[in-house]
Amino acid sequence: MTAVDSTRTGLDAAAPNLRRPWGTWALGALILFLAVTPFILVIVISFGQKIEGAGWEWDFTFANYQRFFVGALWPDEVTFLHLQRLYYALYYAVIASVLAVATAFPFTYLLTRQSRRAQSCWLVFILASLSLSEVFIVMGWDVLLSNRSGLPMLFEVSGATDWLKRTGWFEVLREWGLANPRNVKFKTSEFATILTMSYLVWPYAVILLYPALSRLDPSLTEAARTMGAGPAKVMTSVILPSVKLPLIGSMLLLFVFLLGSYVTIVVFAEPAKQTTAVAVYESVRGATLDAPFGAAQAVVLLVTAALFLVLAQWLTKRSEAR
Amino acid sequence: MSRHLMNRRSLLKSGASAGGLALAGSVIGTPLIAQTRSLKVASYGGYFENSFKEHVFPAFTAATGIEIESVTQPNSTDWLVTMQQATAAGTVPTDLSLYARDTMIKASRLGGLISPLDMAAIPDASNLDGYFIFEDGTGPIGVGALSWFSAMVINPNEVSAPASWADFWDSSVYEASLGLSKNYNSQLLDIIAATFFEGEATFATEDGIVALIEKAAELKPNVALWWTAESQMEQSMKNGDVIGGQYYHDVAQLMAADGFPIQSIFPKEGNPQDYGSWCLSSLSDKGAEAAEFINFTSQPSTQALMSRMIGTAPLVDASVTDLTPEEFASVSGSPVIRPAYEAYLDKETFIKESWDRMLAGA
Repeated sequence: MTAVDSTRTGLDAAAPNLRRPWGTWALGALILFLAVTPFILVIVISFGQKIEGAGWEWDFTFANYQRFFVGALWPDEVTFLHLQRLYYALYYAVIASVLAVATAFPFTYLLTRQSRRAQSCWLVFILASLSLSEVFIVMGWDVLLSNRSGLPMLFEVSGATDWLKRTGWFEVLREWGLANPRNVKFKTSEFATILTMSYLVWPYAVILLYPALSRLDPSLTEAARTMGAGPAKVMTSVILPSVKLPLIGSMLLLFVFLLGSYVTIVVFAEPAKQTTAVAVYESVRGATLDAPFGAAQAVVLLVTAALFLVLAQWLTKRSEAR
Repeated sequence: MSRHLMNRRSLLKSGASAGGLALAGSVIGTPLIAQTRSLKVASYGGYFENSFKEHVFPAFTAATGIEIESVTQPNSTDWLVTMQQATAAGTVPTDLSLYARDTMIKASRLGGLISPLDMAAIPDASNLDGYFIFEDGTGPIGVGALSWFSAMVINPNEVSAPASWADFWDSSVYEASLGLSKNYNSQLLDIIAATFFEGEATFATEDGIVALIEKAAELKPNVALWWTAESQMEQSMKNGDVIGGQYYHDVAQLMAADGFPIQSIFPKEGNPQDYGSWCLSSLSDKGAEAAEFINFTSQPSTQALMSRMIGTAPLVDASVTDLTPEEFASVSGSPVIRPAYEAYLDKETFIKESWDRMLAGA
């Protein structure tokens, strides 16, 4: 400890309860204000009341939450429109995050086996690709899946469309909604939506898995191999168990991230399969100016995400305890 | 220093200050008159605003000496939210805004956002049909600026022009091939009312609205794209992802002029006509300049200028303008379907929820 330090300590001791608590208190209040105010505002607005043909007013009504679960026409009719949107939000997020982690895992594993130089090149490339916004990625896939500039054109030019028509598979694709009478089509479809969403989070999956996989001790796999285990056995009994937690953790993080994705859904999902995030935007910024209902939907989405995180936490703890 | 004696320095000082005052007076005084003659006008951004900046605003400044500052507004409904928040905060980004009729009625119901206009200072508004001058309890709050059609479009290389909107229900031609607007109030229901029912009167009852929405549901197998942004439909028509649908007549004409395979059609039931109104912000103190501007855009010559340069339909009778029949036909058509604006507002939640259920199949 130097002389300067001891002087400062002495000063602090002289005026103990004046400066620091006040500063801490102010900083705490500021953080609280910045972090919590938007949440509180959304929660308070969600109890507001919509005025037909105009805006909304402050109130304390549960009508917006009731509308979410049984529809606006209740009690004459019960509709699960809004629950269906929540279901699709969960559905896309689960499949896309699992798909992203499942494909990023072997890639990252092989990456960690490369030379130091190759690893840093790949990581820089993947980190850089994170700077692309959702809008650009969606635009790119939009072009790749369009009739005259992408995959459908490739089908047509290569003769694959004609082959599909001859073999009768084209009729099957039409039934699945992946073709119109002229050619195959990939927009709008679940296929395009999930593909784009997992593409969107794939770099995150690599970045999240990389630390765990690069810390993996090679002597463990070597020991297993010398004891006669095949590559598949090594994977399932040595590698996967030791990175189970990072795998589940990254899946959860990507899942929560994807719950709120907007642009992909608007462009690639048909209206019947759109999500709560889209409905929130339509309520708040759309023609109805229904901010209270938008806020109520946002709160439900938030609670759903929190529930999933708590559930996952509990499951991990339980499996660790065993 | 005695009061009898004025030395050279104090003489200079007082002289300078007197001169300075005079100078300052002239600096503040003269440009004061010129500086107050300005106005902030908002219009839909992109191609629309650029055309205004290039053709309409300079002509107005040349005629009146009033400088225009152009402000970008994204559309009517989002802009209403922005203006509502700005008005509450006490300072607004623009004097005049361009609102579609339903947004204007909504703003009037919200109250406190729009000032009534001094119609005595807008004599040329008499050129417009009375329908385009909207009055609420406080007085006239909106004067029509320009109008646009939400028209039937097809790809002429793929299909021949239908005679009626009813043809779009034919799955043997249009299976998974149409692009329609996803918004409940984007006038597809008005088209259905005009094609299969009694027009606007069908919106009077909830049963009527349900019947309209059920008819729209029959179209679902033929729709490849329910678009929310204009650009989505533009790209899909260009790419051949869709071969027909509902799109803006003015933009379709521009695309056709650029060589893209799109044809805008007036079928026998007609197309819905919507229009934008100039509305004065309640916080603006530029009422006089705004009146002059609105008066200018109400003149037949300005309406013709906008038709030629922006592609919007004139709100004055074509006969009082110098538009040739060909020029008029390229921006307008008949018959006209007038949207059921009031019903969309009075039964807002009912229509939106029923429409969304139809789309979602819930």
